[in-house]
Amino acid sequence: MSASIVKTRRRLLPAERSERVWSYLLLVPLVLTFGGFTLWPILASWWYSFFDWDGVGQATDWIGLDNFVEVVTNEAFWRSFWHSFLFSVVALLVELPLALVLAIMLNNPRLRGRNVYRLALFVPVVTTTAVVGIVFVALLDPVRGAVNEILTGLHLVGEPINFLGSTTTALPTLMVVDIWKGFGVTLIYWLAALQTVPKDLIEAAQIDGARRWGVLRHITVPVVLPIAIVIVLLLFQRSLNTFDLVQAMTAGGPSYATDVVPTYIYRYAFDPYMQAPRYGFACAAGVIFGLLTLVLTLIQAPVLRLRKRMAP
Amino acid sequence: MSHPRTLSRRTLLGATLAGATVTGLTACTGQGTPSNGPTVEVVVALVPDPPGASDFYRKQFDSFEAANPGIKVKIIENPGDKQLSAVELMFQQGNAPDVYRAQESGFDRMYDRGWARSLQPYVTDEFTARFPQGSLSPASSGIHRDGELYSIPLTWGKWATLDAFVYNKSLLKASGYEQGPQTWSQLEEMAKAVTRDGKGKVFGFAPQQASGIVRVARQGVPYSIPGDGLDLRTGKPNTADPIMVESVELHRRMQADGSMITGWETWDGSRAYTEFAGGRFAMYVTAPWHVAEIRKLMPDIDMGISVCPTPDSGRGGFSPITASFAPMWAMSSETKHPDESWKVLDFLASAEFHLAYYQEFGTLTALESAWESAARSQPDQAALLDVATESMALVPNPRLASEGGKAILDARAAKPELRFTDAAMESMVKNEPFEPKAVKLDRALDAFLADLYSSGKATAADITFADWVPTKPYESK
Repeated sequence: MSASIVKTRRRLLPAERSERVWSYLLLVPLVLTFGGFTLWPILASWWYSFFDWDGVGQATDWIGLDNFVEVVTNEAFWRSFWHSFLFSVVALLVELPLALVLAIMLNNPRLRGRNVYRLALFVPVVTTTAVVGIVFVALLDPVRGAVNEILTGLHLVGEPINFLGSTTTALPTLMVVDIWKGFGVTLIYWLAALQTVPKDLIEAAQIDGARRWGVLRHITVPVVLPIAIVIVLLLFQRSLNTFDLVQAMTAGGPSYATDVVPTYIYRYAFDPYMQAPRYGFACAAGVIFGLLTLVLTLIQAPVLRLRKRMAP
Repeated sequence: MSHPRTLSRRTLLGATLAGATVTGLTACTGQGTPSNGPTVEVVVALVPDPPGASDFYRKQFDSFEAANPGIKVKIIENPGDKQLSAVELMFQQGNAPDVYRAQESGFDRMYDRGWARSLQPYVTDEFTARFPQGSLSPASSGIHRDGELYSIPLTWGKWATLDAFVYNKSLLKASGYEQGPQTWSQLEEMAKAVTRDGKGKVFGFAPQQASGIVRVARQGVPYSIPGDGLDLRTGKPNTADPIMVESVELHRRMQADGSMITGWETWDGSRAYTEFAGGRFAMYVTAPWHVAEIRKLMPDIDMGISVCPTPDSGRGGFSPITASFAPMWAMSSETKHPDESWKVLDFLASAEFHLAYYQEFGTLTALESAWESAARSQPDQAALLDVATESMALVPNPRLASEGGKAILDARAAKPELRFTDAAMESMVKNEPFEPKAVKLDRALDAFLADLYSSGKATAADITFADWVPTKPYESK
């Protein structure tokens, strides 16, 4: 006997209807805030980037692609982009593996006080960046800073190091502070990833005689790899947009040695020495930065495809 | 017997809305506090500087309110570098302050947008008489636009551009010097000696960021070259002028040999006078308001105040007097209470306020009569007055001279990459020769001017004052 299924539209019960209405109602705040504070500013900045606009009143002076041409031919823009890119690369090469190593150590249930260590590593993340910046500026001061006092006191250096005032040391110093500040987030990502590794799989391997390295190589890494790819992307994006720490510690100086794209944009939009801010130009720089970020992310597309293949 | 009741979502929502409505109504009705008569609130947006200004302004406006019972002054404070943006946002939101601080070229930014109201209808003979004779002439006051008064000054006309050289006499004496340097080579020699004797704890000099380099350079060349890269005698860029190059090379040498205090590159505005008061370096060139701050921090410091050292070949320029005053306070074009706002502005231009400001901060204010005799008997201020007499002179001001001149300076300001100070700082911090950078900068400035001229917004004549001799006070024809 062939059974045919006839779909009929069932009338929703009042309780079901009410639940649906509530579901949509509860979405409204999110849609409104996302539209108002994320989508609209993005679209508006694209629009304004075609104008010579100082941020006041209606943008009326249409200049086509002039702002874009000025940005891409501006040496300072590419220098700041290079610095932003370096922040990301260093985060991937240093912060990512270091956080993994610590996460593996902190994931060991036999480690005493591991929650205290986790908390200690996460505290910088929840500390206000401006405060972190001001404190580090004081700590690293070459005249009275604690770091130089210790280094010279222990005779590790002959004279104080001008960490933030030298064009050779300022950027690496900021990168170290940035890594320290964001380290907790990457650590939490890794811890979450490690906790997806089935314990019975590890126990079975251990019964079969696998040692710690073998478990790591043949079980832990393959299981966490799909999540690791997401962590890489998140870390890359976060580091590329470093702004507040740089603004608080050096504002892009000395001599633009730590200028990143967000400080570059900020300067054109809010520099008090300008007779009129160049919001249109700053928008164009933001759009180009966004596009470059998109390209850099798309370059990683093959890795994302790999993740799809690896996903269980 | 009563049954426990669970709240439904609808009840909860209803209760929340009712609560919000009641809170809103309470807030609305709460704004109007009981009063004996109509009270007008005048909103003043200001910058709480120098340190201690928050309390000072509140006390001053309290006394103003006591004398003007129908007016309440509400203060909105913004950080100095955010003031203009903050006030602009207030205008855009339809919530403009009645009175706001917009100083120097920042005022033009507001004026150009039509956000400043003419104060001319309120000007009386009594008001004009408060200021030095002739200083409120529309052509040169600096606070008039299109022949009408638009802004109220706060500081003495020479205050903003006075270049004071301050030095720690004890530190110089310890290195064998009885007085401060007169020339650039003496400055270099003394800075080196103090640093050597300081043994890593005390340094000879601090450049006080980019403005310090500008202050030193304009003793040797026309002020407009370190200011905007332009030589107003020819109307052409000239940062590669040999004296100009030497001014940067002087700083580069002092930076390279360690005569400058380490870490100045990342100092904020207050660090220079804090470190100087702490005796950690011996000399710097500064804005005059630092002097009072140093004295507050270290009342007994053995401080000398003199004219900034000049090139060994002699003075080539003066610290500029571009106008009688710099704009400071303006009335909003959108104020609903112009008369009350004027009363506040009138108070800010009163002898009572200026005397209080002078007494609190040691700043020489726009009303000379309020402080003149007191300042002459106060050694630091008397020294500043002497410095002004000796090292300041009237100079041509393209911004006031023509629309084209203003357009050129505004357009230059919108191109931070064309700042002389960026090239100079790079030369110092990276220890690279300045001349090639100056030549490159001059070329970029030439191209910038050519673009501007081709747009028809200005001509070379707007920034050319061929009859000007930079070592003499300029006389406008």
